[in-house]
Amino acid sequence: MKRVSCMFLVMCVLFSIFGITVMAGGNSGKITIWAWDPNFNIPVMAEAKARYQKTYPNMEIEIVEMAKADVEQKLNTVLASRTKEGLPEIVLIEDYNAQKYLQAYPGAFADLTKKINRKEFASYKNELMTLKGKIYGVPFDSGVSALFYRTDILAEAGYKPADLNNITWDQFIEIGKKVKEKTGKAMMAFDTADGGLMRIMMQSAGQWYFDQNGNPNIVKNEALKEAYATYKKLVDSGIIKRTSGWNEWAASFNKGETASVITGCWIIGTIKAEKNQAGKWAVAPTPRLNLASSVNYSNLGGSSWYVIEKSKNKAVAEDFLKTIFATDQDFYQKILVAQGAVGSYLPSQSGVAYTEADPFFGGQRVFSDLCAWMKKIPSINYGLFTYEADSAMMVVMPDYLVGKINIDTALKRAEEQLKNQINY
Amino acid sequence: MVLFLFLKEKVNIIMESIPQLPRLGREVKRHGHVSSKNRYGWFFISFSLIILGVFMLYPIISSLYMSTMSSRGMIQRYVGLGNYFKLVKDSVFLQALKNTLIFFIIQVPIMLFLALVIASLLNDKSIKFRGVFRTGIFLPAVTSLVTYAVLFKMMFSLDGFINKTLLAMRLISQPVPWLIDPFWAKITVMIALTWRWTGYNMVFYLSGLQNIPDELYEAAEIDGANKLRQFMYITVPILKPIILFTAITSTIGTLQLFDEPTSLSSTVDTAATIGPANSLLTMSVYIYNLCFKYMPNFGYASTVAYVIVILVAILSIIQFKLVGDKR
Repeated sequence: MKRVSCMFLVMCVLFSIFGITVMAGGNSGKITIWAWDPNFNIPVMAEAKARYQKTYPNMEIEIVEMAKADVEQKLNTVLASRTKEGLPEIVLIEDYNAQKYLQAYPGAFADLTKKINRKEFASYKNELMTLKGKIYGVPFDSGVSALFYRTDILAEAGYKPADLNNITWDQFIEIGKKVKEKTGKAMMAFDTADGGLMRIMMQSAGQWYFDQNGNPNIVKNEALKEAYATYKKLVDSGIIKRTSGWNEWAASFNKGETASVITGCWIIGTIKAEKNQAGKWAVAPTPRLNLASSVNYSNLGGSSWYVIEKSKNKAVAEDFLKTIFATDQDFYQKILVAQGAVGSYLPSQSGVAYTEADPFFGGQRVFSDLCAWMKKIPSINYGLFTYEADSAMMVVMPDYLVGKINIDTALKRAEEQLKNQINY
Repeated sequence: MVLFLFLKEKVNIIMESIPQLPRLGREVKRHGHVSSKNRYGWFFISFSLIILGVFMLYPIISSLYMSTMSSRGMIQRYVGLGNYFKLVKDSVFLQALKNTLIFFIIQVPIMLFLALVIASLLNDKSIKFRGVFRTGIFLPAVTSLVTYAVLFKMMFSLDGFINKTLLAMRLISQPVPWLIDPFWAKITVMIALTWRWTGYNMVFYLSGLQNIPDELYEAAEIDGANKLRQFMYITVPILKPIILFTAITSTIGTLQLFDEPTSLSSTVDTAATIGPANSLLTMSVYIYNLCFKYMPNFGYASTVAYVIVILVAILSIIQFKLVGDKR
């Protein structure tokens, strides 16, 4: 008798535990958003949430903030396990990863081709989220690249803003040498293990690590070869300060040790963090490669919002994105001023915040310039294997930089490794 | 998986050393009242056995099955042993394997030897403030990984504290590119690992040293043995089981090394390589990359995981044979 009642008690406890977990997943008017960066994406979403809740006060919007690596881990896990619980409605995905998720998890993302007016967004953004004719996301921030430089240091070396307009990389190196000579400061901080600059250079020539069919295009890729060689030219010229990792790199221009930085426009927040440098900065177009196909416009980074097809409140999520991100122009003015978020929503780019002069940049209409350049960024499809390609290129970089191997050997090795990696 | 193998070894050791555990099968027939107690025992153990089975055995078998598939996210196809053949030609995996083995062969012996020497030194009762030294050396093992990684990155940067000190002491003429050069990056990780885990192993040796009676040392002293001979012929042989234990745990830890390479290299999720030219890429980091950074290939990642398991098993068996007692 005692044995039976004891077992019965244990069974009850076990079942109640299972019962509670089942009940936890409920149904409510609520959408969940996964994103990273508490200084950028999260406040932007919080602003969007506040605006949407003015019209629909009963809607619950939960913004879950995690590190970027964590978002990617969770998203991969949740999609690969094909579970229906715990799916967010909206998720932020970096543009380089867009095709990877779309092709690895077919049917996981909602088709948003007709839900928003595609012509109102920068074309290069629409292109990268298109698969088999369907467009899957809502474009968000643009990583339009530019050459941000210190006007005072360049003036000391004898250069006016006009001298930095629409230059080539070779001209940039020449200017850097003069700056080093006259002021003793490095022209730019450079992490030689980071593939960011290489991607900027390639995209400026309309090329990528892969060709139209998704096959690795490394050895025969003129733009990539030129970009790779430029890395060596930059290191050999002595105009750069070698750094490792984000903190060191950002500290170099914040502390005034370097005269310029070439990267995506999202760096503006970091540049402006150093308030005593106000008025001493200006922005010029990205340097171009010595190729006819290369222009002075490119992109680094950027991400977009995607809706998970099997989430509970998919329809509400789509409406939310459409109402705020694809219609509300005032919203884009607000996030530009507050977070420095340069959206790719074209109608908003004639708004007040976008066209006013920025005192930090010496009165230059920075965002007008950036938006004009954004329209000219060459469109490319990033393909599925950007990170594998990046890794393959940078693995051979140190040997190439010290001269152990020449550029053709380096490119051949990189292509071999890449072909092995993406072998499915 | 490796924890399971390790626990199995430990359980075997325990089982062999306690001979009076009843042989359950035989006793049931002879003693009626014992059998009902055994049934209660089995009943209570059954819950944890079921949980162990579901959460440990099932994933182990399932991942073995997964390693026969090649996948792109949700799209899978069966390749049998194809993944294992792919491993042999995969230059990234071979580099990860090489890096992991370099860390294992160089860092583990140095660290264990250092821990042993420090433990012997700190066992000397005539040293004042022994407790302070012991705590100080053990403290790195309990510091937060992220904190110390950030500090190490700052200290070992081109114009960081370490380079400035070395330059000031005129030991070097150019700053050492600690985290920028492939060779030096490995050295930096080895320094970090040694700094962190020497204290942890030292504690094990210290506790073992308490079991060595002082009379042995006094007798040796009288016989004319110097400290070195005492160390080599008294301390080390008596501490053999503990040395074996720390060697195996260090082996398992180093072969699964993930924390230091990811935190001492630039941001993992966007960096092109782990450490300059992938010099810090270890097998566990490669598994992470295969699942979450590159095109997710869970099948291939399972294959790499199994390679780690096989390596750990082989190395543990070798160490047991070399150092373990012959029973």
